[in-house]
Amino acid sequence: MHYPWWYVPFLTSPMLIAIISVLHVLVSHYAVGGGLFLAVETRYAYRTGTSGYLAYLKQHAWFFILVTVVYGAITGVGIWWTIGLASPLATETLIHTFVFGWAMEYVTFVLEIVSAFIFYYWWGRLDAKTHQTIGWIYAGSAWMSLVLITGITAFMLNSGDWPEHRSFWVGFLNPQFIPQVLARTGGSFLLASLYVYLHAAFKVKDPELSHLIERRSARPALWGAILIVIGGIGWYVFLPESAKAALVAASVLNVLMVLLFVLTVAVFTMFYLGPYRNPRWLSPGFAIFFFTFGLAAVTTGEYIREAVRKPYIIYNVVMGNQILADEIPALRRTGYLEGGTWTKAFVSHHYPQVINEGKIDEARLLMLPEADQVKLGEVLFQYHCNDCHAKVRGYSPVAQLIRGWTPEMIRTVVRYPEKSHFFMPPWAGTPEEAELLTKYLMSIAPPHPGGMYYGQ
Amino acid sequence: MNPTELIGPSSPLGYPAPYWFLVLFKVLGFTLHLVPMNLWYAGIIVAMLLEWRGGEHARHLSSRVMKQMPIIIALGVNFGIVPLLFVQVAYYKVFYPATILMAWPWFSVIVLLTLAYYGVYIYVIGLRDEGAAMARWRRVVGWVTAVLFIVMGFLFSNAFSLMTNVNAWPALWQPTSVAGAPLGIALNGADPTLWPRWLMMFGLALTTTAAYVVVDTGLFAVRESDEYKRGAMRVALKVYTVGMIWFALTGSWYVFGTWRPDVREMMFSGPLMVVTGLTAIGPGLPWLLILAQRRAVTRTWALVTGVAQFGVLALNAISRQIVQNAELSPFLDVTAEPVNIQWSPLVLFLVLLVAGLGTVAWMLRRLVAARRMSTDEPIY
Repeated sequence: MHYPWWYVPFLTSPMLIAIISVLHVLVSHYAVGGGLFLAVETRYAYRTGTSGYLAYLKQHAWFFILVTVVYGAITGVGIWWTIGLASPLATETLIHTFVFGWAMEYVTFVLEIVSAFIFYYWWGRLDAKTHQTIGWIYAGSAWMSLVLITGITAFMLNSGDWPEHRSFWVGFLNPQFIPQVLARTGGSFLLASLYVYLHAAFKVKDPELSHLIERRSARPALWGAILIVIGGIGWYVFLPESAKAALVAASVLNVLMVLLFVLTVAVFTMFYLGPYRNPRWLSPGFAIFFFTFGLAAVTTGEYIREAVRKPYIIYNVVMGNQILADEIPALRRTGYLEGGTWTKAFVSHHYPQVINEGKIDEARLLMLPEADQVKLGEVLFQYHCNDCHAKVRGYSPVAQLIRGWTPEMIRTVVRYPEKSHFFMPPWAGTPEEAELLTKYLMSIAPPHPGGMYYGQ
Repeated sequence: MNPTELIGPSSPLGYPAPYWFLVLFKVLGFTLHLVPMNLWYAGIIVAMLLEWRGGEHARHLSSRVMKQMPIIIALGVNFGIVPLLFVQVAYYKVFYPATILMAWPWFSVIVLLTLAYYGVYIYVIGLRDEGAAMARWRRVVGWVTAVLFIVMGFLFSNAFSLMTNVNAWPALWQPTSVAGAPLGIALNGADPTLWPRWLMMFGLALTTTAAYVVVDTGLFAVRESDEYKRGAMRVALKVYTVGMIWFALTGSWYVFGTWRPDVREMMFSGPLMVVTGLTAIGPGLPWLLILAQRRAVTRTWALVTGVAQFGVLALNAISRQIVQNAELSPFLDVTAEPVNIQWSPLVLFLVLLVAGLGTVAWMLRRLVAARRMSTDEPIY
């Protein structure tokens, strides 16, 4: 409401954040785990004099650069692009709180880029010790980057005591920080194993070398399993009460939690029984199957992590519909249309007759012609609801959710959405505005499906 | 509609550092970003032209520049993060609305950049594996990539001109919105400053490309023949001359044809007159240096040319910052925001920055030492 709301029909603009974020996470974790894998394995190859393995690692480093430095870096910047467009108030809040966290992460990013390029492009031109050191500089800075970003993303799920103190460190060292660092570190190990496994399946023809890679590449995933379990338990323990309740209450989350559990167990079992214990299973088909399973597990985990935050973008600070939690009481008194920068401008421009002494006169809103009331209801829907709901078709379309409802039912949910579903934000407007939104919703709600027999 | 009504309230959190600190890093970061950004903006199209129409040395120069391009792009993306961070801290009230009004074109930058970056790799792998016999489709990819970077430059000019062109917001918002929510399909095409600014940046990018050729020839091309170096310097002089004239013409159009009278008066009076004058004549110094080296380039003078060009870019970034604030002044005073300094994160950042730069310096020293021992140049 401080900013214009970007209307993306069908999908809703926050879904673009989700898409870009998932695409990024699948590579950014590999950038961390893969870097550590290359550092550890290069050391091993130098120490044991395994020239074939060293040659493979160089090949893998090229693949690693193409995937992480190009795609990973750009999708990382892409997250900046999309959060600024689709969630500007939360971005404003985060950047004013954590700009120096991001600035520190930038320093680690510089180190990552420089060391990654030197590690690959000067392979064979640096002495073994220096080469390994460069590899470790990459691994260390990539992990630091993970730690710094996790402090900020974990803050969004549980802001802890930040609303009282508003200090950088209270926000950064939030209750979710350590659990998520552990889980993400484990996830990065898992993804590193999957990427190496996939790459080697296509590139390595020598059976001996293939078996060595399988054994070595399975180790990070198994370490990762331990970290994911510990981090996952911590994540659950330090979830806010509403997030725990959402896991139980939302059917989609129920299903996804089970799916996540099954996928994770399947991936680790396959790693243990396959590459680790029986390193002769490596084939492109199995690697693709395995890789897809792993990506599905990570994607599901990310979805759940995001979804349980509702109705907040930043827990207890910024609501899902771009309002500061602190602003709600005032908006209920003065009106959402009045309080929103762009909604006020819209009303002033299109309906000057409802303006009285520079402010919107709420009583006059209901004296407008019916079509104009519906139009203003649509404005309220766009700014108050479209964050999570498409209109008639698309992502969680409101019209389908209220199909066949009576005006009283709609009015009640509009006035008390947080009572109806605790993961919805509360109504942040006046009763008159609730009436406008009700009229708009009535105008798009389809009738109850016909032909349904209830025994009468 | 009064466009100022479209600017939202201040963040209750305030600036996390004094304005001067934020703007210092914004300008410094932007200057650093300008170096690699200029090289992909104009450098790729120049390299493609040299490869298409140039002689033997010009084609070799093209190959050298393109082989370095993946690293240049990585550094450019990296260096772009700092100004992007600080512009969002200090200019959030205008940056977010402007980019939301043109959300789809702005969002498309990510898609275009991904395609262009992989396009560069496709071309460079062709150079590495196939050399002069590179497949035609890879050359086509090279040309498409060059165009994509120029298009991205246009989109950036759009976003950052729209950020200060608050007067245009209502007219862009109303016809491209549904119930007050913008579809994000606007462009700032009617802004008279857009076109000369975009073109001026291209002229500046041509000069940076030429200066980089001098730096590459003087510092990095140690194993190339003297004939190659003389050929490269001839190309550098030509490109710099074209870029400088282009910069002068489009810059004059921008300053005298599109600036508001109050902005022009401010920039041409008092101490700012010196900044404006230096920005205008700045490219003359690198040009003279290149002219002096056209027969024989030396390491020292190549380095001086690079530093001089960096100064040209810094002057442009400083002037742009002053003009940006002046353009915004009727709507917003960015220096008047509340400040709530985060001392310990700020100090920790500075410490990490110094440590990080020290580590980079150590890695580069090891690299230089390894290079001296090595008999061949790295294959990018």
